[in-house]
Amino acid sequence: MSAADELTPAVVTAARKPRWSPTFTIGLILVGIHVAIALLTLFWTPYDPTSTTGGRLEPPSFIHWAGTDRLGRDFFTQIMIGSRIALIVGAGAVAIGAAIGVTIGLLAAFATRFLDDALAATLDILIAFPTLLLAMLVVAASEGASLWSAILALGIAMSAIVARLTRILAKRVLQNDYITASRTSGTSWPGVVVRHVLPNIWPTLSVNFALQFGIAVIAESSLSYLGLGAPPPNASWGRLLQEAQGTVYTAPIGAIAPGIALVTLVIGINLLADGLRDIGDPTRRISR
Amino acid sequence: MTLLDVRDVTFGYGRQRQVLHGVSFAVKKGVSVGLVGESGSGKTTILRLLLGLTKPTGGTINFGGSVLDPSSRGFMRDYRRSVQAVFQDPYSSLDPRQKVRDIISEPLQSLRIPGAHGEAVAAALDAVGLPADAINRYPHEFSGGQRQRIAIARAIVARPQLVLADEAVSALDLSTRIRIVDLFKRLSENMTLVFVSHDLGVVASLCEEIIILERGHIVESGNTREILDAPQHPYTQKLLQSVPRMPR
Amino acid sequence: MTPLLSVDGLTLKTGDKTLVSDLSFSLGAGERMGLIGESGSGKSLTAMAVTGLLPKSIVPAGSILLDGQQVVGTLERTLNGLRGSSVAVVFQEPLTALDPLMKIGTQVAGPLGRRLAREGKSPPRREVDREVLQFLDHVALPQPERIANSYPHEISGGQRQRVAIAMALACKPKLLIADEPTTALDVTTQAEILKLLDSLVRELGMALLFISHDLPVVATVVDRVTVLRNGRAVEEGPVKAVFDQPRHDYTKTLVEAARSFDNALEGTA
Repeated sequence: MSAADELTPAVVTAARKPRWSPTFTIGLILVGIHVAIALLTLFWTPYDPTSTTGGRLEPPSFIHWAGTDRLGRDFFTQIMIGSRIALIVGAGAVAIGAAIGVTIGLLAAFATRFLDDALAATLDILIAFPTLLLAMLVVAASEGASLWSAILALGIAMSAIVARLTRILAKRVLQNDYITASRTSGTSWPGVVVRHVLPNIWPTLSVNFALQFGIAVIAESSLSYLGLGAPPPNASWGRLLQEAQGTVYTAPIGAIAPGIALVTLVIGINLLADGLRDIGDPTRRISR
Repeated sequence: MTLLDVRDVTFGYGRQRQVLHGVSFAVKKGVSVGLVGESGSGKTTILRLLLGLTKPTGGTINFGGSVLDPSSRGFMRDYRRSVQAVFQDPYSSLDPRQKVRDIISEPLQSLRIPGAHGEAVAAALDAVGLPADAINRYPHEFSGGQRQRIAIARAIVARPQLVLADEAVSALDLSTRIRIVDLFKRLSENMTLVFVSHDLGVVASLCEEIIILERGHIVESGNTREILDAPQHPYTQKLLQSVPRMPR
Repeated sequence: MTPLLSVDGLTLKTGDKTLVSDLSFSLGAGERMGLIGESGSGKSLTAMAVTGLLPKSIVPAGSILLDGQQVVGTLERTLNGLRGSSVAVVFQEPLTALDPLMKIGTQVAGPLGRRLAREGKSPPRREVDREVLQFLDHVALPQPERIANSYPHEISGGQRQRVAIAMALACKPKLLIADEPTTALDVTTQAEILKLLDSLVRELGMALLFISHDLPVVATVVDRVTVLRNGRAVEEGPVKAVFDQPRHDYTKTLVEAARSFDNALEGTA
């Protein structure tokens, strides 16, 4: 065996091409449609969302694609604005949950045994509460229901789950020799976090963020349905569903349309989350 | 000139689990030392102490005239510049998400060493016998031996005086191992090597001096050749007899 | 006389990748052979193929005749009878080879009970327990009663490997496969385990297929070796002939490397 032999491009068996799977593409399309609609509502909607433009509870027609609501407002416009609210809620809750959760999780991973145990126990207790219940408590504690109190509530409720995941992932990364090697290379602990810990926990974490995004969208709808979410005129899908409850037999579109909107967005996000796993993982990529 | 002076160092977890019992030895500049022992001998603990990852429970480690103190930032900055390490498992010791360039240049960046980092990385790659275009690849694209070369390049890129190697060839195949041993041999002409290993054959081919450890005690130490030719301590004798040999 | 194990044109593939190609060797009753190879040589896969324990993703072709039974393409149920009676395996990592939640005595009693059942005996529990202690004693474990009552984590790595050997011996197999059985052990423990394996195999007249990357280790326990590289046999012959006058370049590299460490120890480098 020659020296050159050892230098032949080695065990690339683990390397696979990134899987741009059909599910990922579907997820991208579904989420893309919602993002496009949300952006569009910033500049244009078919009708003014707050003014009466037709009769009450009109069925779908060419004038009003999804009919009108109880007050005679265009229902399709409401659904479109619902996309914007759902995306704001999801992104906002994930941002808050990630900021708090990752910080606490990393602290726990680096903390002394006692502090780590205390943090882990606290997180376990928090996680035992359903996200929705926790969010309801936070909303109840804040001054009245608003879109922002709902986002804050969901973000805080989510942070416990993110923190626990971060803690476990970070602890696993910290066991690797490359962490010791990094320390003996002269890298400080914050440097170790930025250089090695975050990049290595990010793939799993990002998938979780995407899933949490979907959960937050559903949870906000539930809060709104219960009257604890964004108050009118914010057209949250949950509130639209709640309003449609009384007329579900006479005007079923009122329940069907926001339902479809909600389901397509959440399924899209979950499919996207699956696809995300493979991207950004160099061991599944062959660089040339 | 003495680089490292280990004086009466003890280490333990509580009173029951004493890992090191008063260990003393010196590492002289340019004289490579092999720390040999089996599991439970305390050789890994000594290495962790020398790397400043743990504090001894008793005794002192002196480097260049001052005491190694892991909590002193100023001292550790200088110490890390002078002392670098290579670990056993070439799969665990390289961050899978970093390119080879970032892996090798980490000591230069973290120790804020002035100068052209790109050139230093290229020189280190050349010294370990890897092609220059390796910098844009990820660790998983390399074999075990090549990965260990990358780890060695990281250890030498900041031109330390001392390199501590922890079983650095044990995980490698025989045909690869002999070449990495040769690489260490070549590098030890320019820097001092402390080689921790259970493998007497590897230490014998690399180190001028040898320290034999058994359950936290140094049972024998001195010139490698002399000790291997005439081991005095029964444990050294047993160890030497246990090494399987090729049929004559 | 037909050999105990005869591997003929064995090829192992996964997808379009060939892991072992056209490997042939045979082993007579009581013979001891070494399979030498580095990582990726296919040596462990070959051992798994012989016991019929290949992962589903790996497709075998060719023929493996073990004790008169074709292994390639044979039903799992038939192979199960073969394992234990014809072949037993000792693995590299004694900690993962033993069930961490089961006492040593119970673990050894498992294969022992199956063998006794195979022989048509159903001795009372007390007698099985006594035989377990005999086996533990046989592999030179001190205080067999204490060991039998311990869990795997309570004993040392060397002792665990002795237990694994005792379990293999309890089957009284015609062929013992040892897959890197000493790689995870300390040097002094390795020497003891090798000595033990050597004497037991001789005493019980078992055939031994010893798989290792370590040339001197292989040389201490076997008579013949086959050198594998990237799934192909590059050289085969008696230990002394292969190690003294290797013909293939790869074998030469390995032998030279092993000798250079020997020479460093002897001071003849």
